[in-house]
Amino acid sequence: MSNTTQSTNQAEASQQPQQQKPPVLEEDDEFEDFPVEDWPQEEAEQANGNNGHLWEESWDDDDAGEDFSKQLKEELKKVEASKQ
Amino acid sequence: MAASIYEDFKQGHSLGSGDRLAASLTPIAPAEYPDRLRAFYHSGSGDVPDLHRTLFRNHKLKLPKQEQAAWVDIYTAYWKAAGELVKLDDGTEGASWSKVFDAWKATANALIRGYSTSSLQAWTLPCLYVIGKYLRLFAMRADAEQPSQESIGFNDDLQDDVVADFEKSAKLEEAARIMNRMFTLCLSDRAPIEDSRKWGIYSTTNLLFKTYFKLNSVGLSKNLLRALNASSADTPELEAFPKSHIVPFEYYVGVIHFLDEKYAEAEQHLTYAWKMCHRDAFKNKELILTYLVPCHIVTTHTLPSKGLLAPFPRLEKLFRPLCDCIRKGDLVGFDAAMSAGEEEFVKRRIYLPLERGRDIALRNLFRRVFIAGGFDESKNGQPPIRRTRVPVAEFGAAMRIGTHADTKSRIDMDEIECLLSNLIYKGLMKGYISRERSMVVLSKGGTAFPGTGV
Repeated sequence: MSNTTQSTNQAEASQQPQQQKPPVLEEDDEFEDFPVEDWPQEEAEQANGNNGHLWEESWDDDDAGEDFSKQLKEELKKVEASKQ
Repeated sequence: MAASIYEDFKQGHSLGSGDRLAASLTPIAPAEYPDRLRAFYHSGSGDVPDLHRTLFRNHKLKLPKQEQAAWVDIYTAYWKAAGELVKLDDGTEGASWSKVFDAWKATANALIRGYSTSSLQAWTLPCLYVIGKYLRLFAMRADAEQPSQESIGFNDDLQDDVVADFEKSAKLEEAARIMNRMFTLCLSDRAPIEDSRKWGIYSTTNLLFKTYFKLNSVGLSKNLLRALNASSADTPELEAFPKSHIVPFEYYVGVIHFLDEKYAEAEQHLTYAWKMCHRDAFKNKELILTYLVPCHIVTTHTLPSKGLLAPFPRLEKLFRPLCDCIRKGDLVGFDAAMSAGEEEFVKRRIYLPLERGRDIALRNLFRRVFIAGGFDESKNGQPPIRRTRVPVAEFGAAMRIGTHADTKSRIDMDEIECLLSNLIYKGLMKGYISRERSMVVLSKGGTAFPGTGV
């Protein structure tokens, strides 16, 4: 196959999710065309099984215990000392 | 077995299939038929009666006269564009992407004429999508080409940055103007909705969004949104459109809001795009999350779970160190993660919202002080109440932990008060500072750190 047909073919192929060839005509950070026009709800991301737990709270209470308290007391001494 | 260009044309019409018709106008050769475009080019002479005979009479295809004329116009231009592509492929001297683009532009214009004279029906719209798609791709190819000898000579005296910049995307700008006409053609169609070009509004909008982003003129996208908004009364609702039209649309609208720092709106649109996206569209899902994650950090102060990012190692690497530092209240770690990722964050234009994560890291650090403070003695068998009067010095001590301060470094109490009042001002902490007592008096009843349960 000669150059042009090959490169344009690759551009098309890169739009198939199963193909991982580097895109030729498409930009790296560009939204890709979907290989099909429409799909049922079952094939949408929403229907993906692992969607239950996507976002988590930004804090962590588990390691906020003893260690931190101890460390805090020690640092507090340094703060008090530096005040004098 | 892939069909010839003429066969796709005929089948498209007899089946009334816009996709089949659009396949005929797709300027790439399918793998099973690599010489398809070449065969099309060599089978014809560019002669109009000739083409008319091949498209209609030989195939016994009966269409209204005006429509026949429109298709002959389109395929005459298409044949010339095919010739330019074949020449480029053969390495013929003088062949260039620039010539391919010009020939393709003529094809696009012939197609637009076909619609604006009402010769072509709305079911043929996929032709508009495919012509628009390659118009953009060929324009980018042409812009990336080295300027030809003659244009260098001509511009010798004008070689300043402005000219260079303009030249760099001249074809794409030209393509944008044509795509804009395609968009208007769809938006302004007054035909009954079953046979309206209105079904093409999102597909053509997406083409323009991509183009404006590439041209760095995101602002122009807002004109499209205004136009869409103005005619929303007689547009079918979003859900009525194919998902391949609305998912990219919602993605781009989300990113447009995102760049305007309207994170709540951005989150809404990006979430919709995420939910409706095809589950196998890896690259697109990765792009949606690239913006959705910073939105969540800013608007709801939530972080992506391990499960969410697990399929996307690039995103896991991009966001995980930041998220871990936010959770732990590790300010030094946060700053290090920000500067480690800076180049990528700036490139993706997500630096600003991510930086706001520092406030959340600080909130979490101070929240730990509050929790470490334990409870005041309970009275009369009431449930214990957390100690809500916390010396400013304790927050200073926490800052020493968060910033990994060494023994010698001093903590400036005014600075701590400043950080505290900033958090209070932003609503991340509730209470006030009693300066004469050097105390922070926090709100009681589980509202000291709103939304975090304490």
